[in-house]
Amino acid sequence: MGQIHLKEIKSISYEKSEVKKGYTDQSLRINLDSNDIIINPIEDKIKDKFIGGKGYDLWLMWNNVNGDTKWNDPENTVCISSGPLGGTPGYPGGGKSIVTAISPLTGAPIDSNVGGYFGPYKKFSGFDVIQIDGKSNKDIVILIDGIENTIKLFNVKNLPEDSYELSDVLTRHFDETKPVNVSVVTAGPGAEHTYFGCLNFSWWDAGRKMVRYKQAGRGGIGTVFANKKVKAVVARYGAVSMKTNSPADLTALKAVTKTHAKEIHTLDPKQNRMAVVGTTHLVPIMNDHDCLPVHNFKFGSHPESKVIGEEVYEHIFDKGFDGCWKGCAVACAHGVKDFSPFTGPYRGKKVFVDGPEYETVAGCGSNLGIFDAQTILEINFYCDAYGLDTISVGTSLGFVMECFENHQITIDHTGGMDLSFGSRFNALEIIHQMARGEGFGSIVGKGIRKMKAIFAKDFGANAAFMQDIGMESKGLEFSEYITKESLAQQGGYGLALKGPQHDEAWLIFLDMVHNFMPTFANKAEALHWFPMFRTWFALCGLCKLPWNDIVPEDNKNNPEPAKVVKHVGWYADFFSAVTGRKTGPEDLISMSEAVYNFQRIFNLKMGYGTREHDTVPYRAVGPVTVEEYKSRQKRYDDQLIEKYNLDISDMTSEEKVASLRQKREEQYEVLKDAVYERRGWTQNGIPTIETVKRLGIDFPEVLEVLKKNGVE
Amino acid sequence: MIEVDEKQIEWSENMTIASLLETLDNSEFCSVVRINGKLFSSPLFAETMISDNSKIQLLPLVAGG
Repeated sequence: MGQIHLKEIKSISYEKSEVKKGYTDQSLRINLDSNDIIINPIEDKIKDKFIGGKGYDLWLMWNNVNGDTKWNDPENTVCISSGPLGGTPGYPGGGKSIVTAISPLTGAPIDSNVGGYFGPYKKFSGFDVIQIDGKSNKDIVILIDGIENTIKLFNVKNLPEDSYELSDVLTRHFDETKPVNVSVVTAGPGAEHTYFGCLNFSWWDAGRKMVRYKQAGRGGIGTVFANKKVKAVVARYGAVSMKTNSPADLTALKAVTKTHAKEIHTLDPKQNRMAVVGTTHLVPIMNDHDCLPVHNFKFGSHPESKVIGEEVYEHIFDKGFDGCWKGCAVACAHGVKDFSPFTGPYRGKKVFVDGPEYETVAGCGSNLGIFDAQTILEINFYCDAYGLDTISVGTSLGFVMECFENHQITIDHTGGMDLSFGSRFNALEIIHQMARGEGFGSIVGKGIRKMKAIFAKDFGANAAFMQDIGMESKGLEFSEYITKESLAQQGGYGLALKGPQHDEAWLIFLDMVHNFMPTFANKAEALHWFPMFRTWFALCGLCKLPWNDIVPEDNKNNPEPAKVVKHVGWYADFFSAVTGRKTGPEDLISMSEAVYNFQRIFNLKMGYGTREHDTVPYRAVGPVTVEEYKSRQKRYDDQLIEKYNLDISDMTSEEKVASLRQKREEQYEVLKDAVYERRGWTQNGIPTIETVKRLGIDFPEVLEVLKKNGVE
Repeated sequence: MIEVDEKQIEWSENMTIASLLETLDNSEFCSVVRINGKLFSSPLFAETMISDNSKIQLLPLVAGG
């Protein structure tokens, strides 16, 4: 690598808008068609209704795209926000960024929540949210310098291609003496050549004296970023304290921060030990409950899973503080040092791997039949470095492997590669191909929905079978939980606004293990409350893990333990202390409900957002094949007899599969009806006029979209 | 004696996780326990024997990703 070259093409100085009660009340727009740098005020009525974070992102996007905008059109807009509470040092999970764009996979708004220092640094530099639209014709780096109060655009040459090296090089370039002042957002070559590119958000790990990063993974925002020829967005800011966010009541903020952080320090070692093992504790738990995806979600457990869970990674993870924000008590962002890849451009070199988390272990490990902790680490490393979402990579490769084993595709299509489950070297080769935009990897990189069309049209594969086993909904690949025995979680995935990601609702245990929601009304209520509350974290710039992954010792005595009511109260106190807006727990739900419904109507604006788009593949609902049925035969036989009162004595296995399917698919449709009613939507899944009026989002342009879709 | 969430409880022969939980208040939420550092999930509760002097933690409701 020679000398990097950054040529300044635009620079402005600005008077910094100081933070007041968590807000700067300004947005920053970078238009890459004209290289214009535009600072706009954020009106109070927008602040009141959209709160911040994802709310601001969606509002800016809504105003910049039309219903025909495609992901690679210049109007598509990448928005990055923090939120009024984001950037509070010491509050557990208090430093998230929320990123949105029109997704290459779904054609609708996608949002992703990510750690690292960028969101807070950007806000403290004067901007609640930044929007990047237009398209550059040359590679570009954007610098937001909150120390010098300048914004600069650079044309760049000779930068490293991958995020791993690029994050490091740019961090040192923009503040060699104090690299902790810099956070860098990058994509990578995989983002450029696939539809599921992620963004890496960095921070300087002062203990290890190196750059670390976390990923805004879902939906291909990195692909949009790369398509605009943005190599990086850099934020630079100095020291941060609780006062930096200018809270309305510093004393109250300190009190609630101390209370929540102390509880986590006390209880995490007794509960999930996330400060030691991250989320890898979920691997054995999901395996034992038959919820760990194995072989493209066919099965829910595997005897070899014990070698890819917390028992192994606890000993591999490097010891040290692993918070992705300053002073976070959860500190779950673990990594592995001195890892030596056995393939690809870093073969034989020593690298630091940020991860793996549960999703990567499950998606790129058990789901592919790869029960090898080292291979999972290598897949994790290259996905990050190339800017690829590990969830979409794992779920897409699982689909490919099942198609291969089922002879829907052959070595004639894969470039000679055996892609049976467990083919770890060829799985890695596909990932390298994705980064190069070559070979069969370039087809896999289009995601499952497009692969299904290509395999059917060009390879003669069975479209109906692929529809059943292709784990995507709305075009987005599923995250890594088996939902066959949880109708509520089938809805948690299928009814999620952006597609099947678990950050809206994770109800598997409440439903399947504890049977806390036996009726459709119970399930619908859960599919209202949980998505609304979880949305609130994305409005405020927070991580959800401290809410319900470490819980008070007396939580079990609460009549609704899943809501972790004590923590909800603390979050209301947190919001009140920072913003000065007196807030109770119920207010958090109403804040989210407005933005949630707005996002649903945004989907509608883009040509989606109706009942037909809330479908899930049958693999998520029940056994597609006789092999799957037989793997849980007693359970399914008992259901047919006891729940559905069927006489199965003369049924063949194929007939049992068909009968169960009919019943389960009917239930899913009834669930949709119940959820739509609870949310105040029509039976076609569209918010009613009464609902948008109640929530105060009855803007003329919103009503126009509803009218076009028959709701007035 | 065994220790359950830092409280001492009398151990008995043939004690399983399931039989232990039946003696505790408000344990229906519990789907995972940690015994001497190792995780055991609810499908294994009935068959998993508890040894004397075990240190047990009842994990909270599993919250997912």
